[in-house]
Amino acid sequence: MSRRAWRWLIPASALPVLALLAYGFRVNPREIPSPLVGRPAPSFTLTAFDGAPVTLEAQRGRVVVVNFWASWCYPACYDEAPVLERSWRAYRDRGVVVIGVDIQDTTEAAKNFVRDFGLTFPNARDPSGKVSVDYGTYGVPETFFIDRRGRIRAKHVGALTDGVVRVHVDALLAEPAG
Amino acid sequence: MIPELGYGAAIVALALALWGAVTAALGARTGRPALLLSAQHAAVGVFVLVTACFALLTYAFLTFDFSVRYVATNTNLGTPFYYRITGVWGALEGSIILWAWMLALYTVIVILRHRVSARAFYPWVLTVMLGVLAFFLLVMTVAAPPFARSSPVPADGRGLNPLLEDTGMITHPVALYLGFTGLTVPFAFALAALITGRVGDAWITLTRRWTIVAWYFLSLGLLIGGWWSYHVLGWGGYWAWDPVENAAFMPWLTATAFLHSVMIQERRRMLKLWNLSLVILTFGLTLFGTFLTRSGVIASVHAFTQGAIGAFFLSFLALVLLTGLGLLAWRWDALHAQGALDSIVSRESAFLLNNVLLVAVTFTVFFGTVFPLLSEVARGVKVSVGAPFFNQVNVPLFLALIFLMGVGPLIAWRRASLDNLRRNFLAPVLVGVVAAAGFFALGVRSAIAVLTLALTVFVAATIAVDFARATRARLRVGERLFPAMRGLLLRHNRRYGGFVVHLGILIIAVGVTGSQAWSVQTETTLRRGESAELAGYRVRFEDLTASEESNHFKVAGAFTVSNGRVLGVLRPAKKFYPQEQSPIAYVDYRLGLNEDIYLVLGDFARDGSQATVKLLVNRLVSWIWIGGLVLTLGALLAILPERRKGA
Amino acid sequence: MRPKFIVGGIVIAAALAYMIYAGVTQSAVYFVTPAELRASAVAGKAYRLGGLVVPGSLTWEPRTLDLRFTLGDGTATVAVHHKGTPPDLFGEGRGAVVEGTWSADGYFRAGLILAKHSEEYKAPHDASAAGYRELIRTLQGAGR
Repeated sequence: MSRRAWRWLIPASALPVLALLAYGFRVNPREIPSPLVGRPAPSFTLTAFDGAPVTLEAQRGRVVVVNFWASWCYPACYDEAPVLERSWRAYRDRGVVVIGVDIQDTTEAAKNFVRDFGLTFPNARDPSGKVSVDYGTYGVPETFFIDRRGRIRAKHVGALTDGVVRVHVDALLAEPAG
Repeated sequence: MIPELGYGAAIVALALALWGAVTAALGARTGRPALLLSAQHAAVGVFVLVTACFALLTYAFLTFDFSVRYVATNTNLGTPFYYRITGVWGALEGSIILWAWMLALYTVIVILRHRVSARAFYPWVLTVMLGVLAFFLLVMTVAAPPFARSSPVPADGRGLNPLLEDTGMITHPVALYLGFTGLTVPFAFALAALITGRVGDAWITLTRRWTIVAWYFLSLGLLIGGWWSYHVLGWGGYWAWDPVENAAFMPWLTATAFLHSVMIQERRRMLKLWNLSLVILTFGLTLFGTFLTRSGVIASVHAFTQGAIGAFFLSFLALVLLTGLGLLAWRWDALHAQGALDSIVSRESAFLLNNVLLVAVTFTVFFGTVFPLLSEVARGVKVSVGAPFFNQVNVPLFLALIFLMGVGPLIAWRRASLDNLRRNFLAPVLVGVVAAAGFFALGVRSAIAVLTLALTVFVAATIAVDFARATRARLRVGERLFPAMRGLLLRHNRRYGGFVVHLGILIIAVGVTGSQAWSVQTETTLRRGESAELAGYRVRFEDLTASEESNHFKVAGAFTVSNGRVLGVLRPAKKFYPQEQSPIAYVDYRLGLNEDIYLVLGDFARDGSQATVKLLVNRLVSWIWIGGLVLTLGALLAILPERRKGA
Repeated sequence: MRPKFIVGGIVIAAALAYMIYAGVTQSAVYFVTPAELRASAVAGKAYRLGGLVVPGSLTWEPRTLDLRFTLGDGTATVAVHHKGTPPDLFGEGRGAVVEGTWSADGYFRAGLILAKHSEEYKAPHDASAAGYRELIRTLQGAGR
């Protein structure tokens, strides 16, 4: 190589460093490895805000998205509430259920939250906190994706986006039923 | 209405910045003054608009406008007035506004100061500064819009991160950002020099003081950050080699190297390529810091929101590095040094070695910080290196730097004669050796501590030798002692400002050495009336009280501290913020010149009968803050206009 | 003169490379799960172990500051010993990250228990604040 061509190695030297930093984006720190992933989802029965019973067992054979939230959880829960509602409306006819579990909250504040966001999927309060303990939640929001056979397949921490829901739900829907 | 106004202002500012950057470049190419004038007006317009954005956001904070997502996220009805103002830059979106505002301010100052004095560079400087400003405005409008609405509007906001409710955390980002943005000016001049091909020392002379100003603020920011870490975080230390700290430290290191290497270029016309590279690298590191802390790529105890912002900053970093280094390659032929090094024993060599070492420290810090990423790419395993790595590798480098701090300013240019060496260094070396023996005799057994302290004494002695000699010279021509000393400091303020900064560093070095070598701590559970003892101090647990504050609950212990006689009562506490998952420790301490008593409340029995405390006696930590004060005073002295030529 | 400087530069670069290499080998901390640690634990090597605190396993003795608990990841468990106060975020059924070494006696000696803060991710809290007011009452009663 001629002496003059060598000089272009100066800007080229920045490329590996930039590539290394860009690689960091591939890792998704939101996807938390949970010991529960791959295991049967703990069952629960709660009473929805509209009085109807909400049972995980009853949803066997469907893909279930269990979302832990609270009305005081601003802004993450506020950000993802419309996402959940959108996903529920888009996927409900394809055998997908969204269940909201409200924890550490007052019934009144939670009901206002459901009303303000116009949430139509089943939402229930976990008055004793038992469900969140069973699922080992550190906080809100946390979301579990459960397959048709009732096993937890993924856990997402922090606000959901449309893309995250789509990736997990589509993958579980693509699996053969039963 | 307010958010829409702010958002609109940001968009118009972005358009103006882009317009100004382009017209300034066209003005430079065509030489038409009207284009340049238009760019100037655009820059002033940007400044006004960003100021308006800042004012509008502050107004939204003061009026609890929770319809603005950023306000609702960083304040709540209990947030005190004071922290509602500082909450404006408490998180990402607001700090981007602050950053943009400072950059716009600097741009206006550059226009005022340099539109005549730096005519050749000025249009391109304006292009670069407005280009950088446009990037931040793009972030403000697209990636992290501070005026985004929140819907439905929450009844109450979440509140400011309680750790930020502290004066240190208010001033720390301001100082740091003034430093970061200040470094944009030398970067802009460097690019202008490369574009115009005027790569001589004109750009360096023009930006010399800008660099010192930026360096001053960076140093201040780092020191306040250390103080905040020490008195708020409650772990007893002031520096943890956390990625966030490293991110701010790296540009400081390269800026320090640059401050020294420009002296060689001014004097010997050498290191053109090196200086330009350093400036580009330094500016790149300020962006890298923001990328690192805001992208979530490297896990840190200071966890920040991640999102599109990381991709924005990485793309801009790529643009800056590739453009800057590409221009360097393009101007390669013009950058060959005119002078050459004559001897290893010379001031040039000492400064060059200082630069190599500072860059080596930067590299080490960078390497350690991105190590988890590196190991994942290379071997697929997550491995990190902690504080021991940074200490182990950097301590020898720091010691060598301190040594050079004594040699560099006094050794002769070009080639030092044996006589020059003897005249300047014989006495300081002897003093250093005697000091080493003295410290050993006093019972200091750690080799690193003895070496550091002896080196410190040696460097202090060289400064004393130089100052005494210069003063004597003035006395000989008939000046009186104090006017002579004052005259030296003010007429040769750059040289003696540098010496004062060096003294500050020495004092900090003593503080760091002492706190590492001699601090002691203990952790224990006390019943009411029981005492803990450490290093001659006795700490007695008196009682535990609880109270409800405006935005949190507080449980405080009362502990009487005595060492033979009663020194006072310390009241460390735990603060429970409703919006936080865990309580925040509130440290109480008694600072002293030689040792601090530092008490942290750990666990406590709910009936108040028992409390677990961590008691630390930290040695010489105050020297770090005193050294920091000396260092900043020295930097201020160096910033003063040079009076030597007129006198 | 020039060769001298090149030799000097090479010496400095080599010394730095060696120091970094030695530093990394001596202070590298490996991120592992309990199952991974069980599979290949090396005594004395530094690990950062992450898992859930197994319910019912946590004991803390304030007088001696002995903190003991078991970390599990659903497939394996590791006993952890630590001397000190449990951090505020710490509790049974919650996740924890501990840093320390594997002891030849079959337990993990943790020098540090890490608690992470996050800006937007919040754990449950007592929204009514009644618990804190109760605490104030108890303490005031005890204080008088």
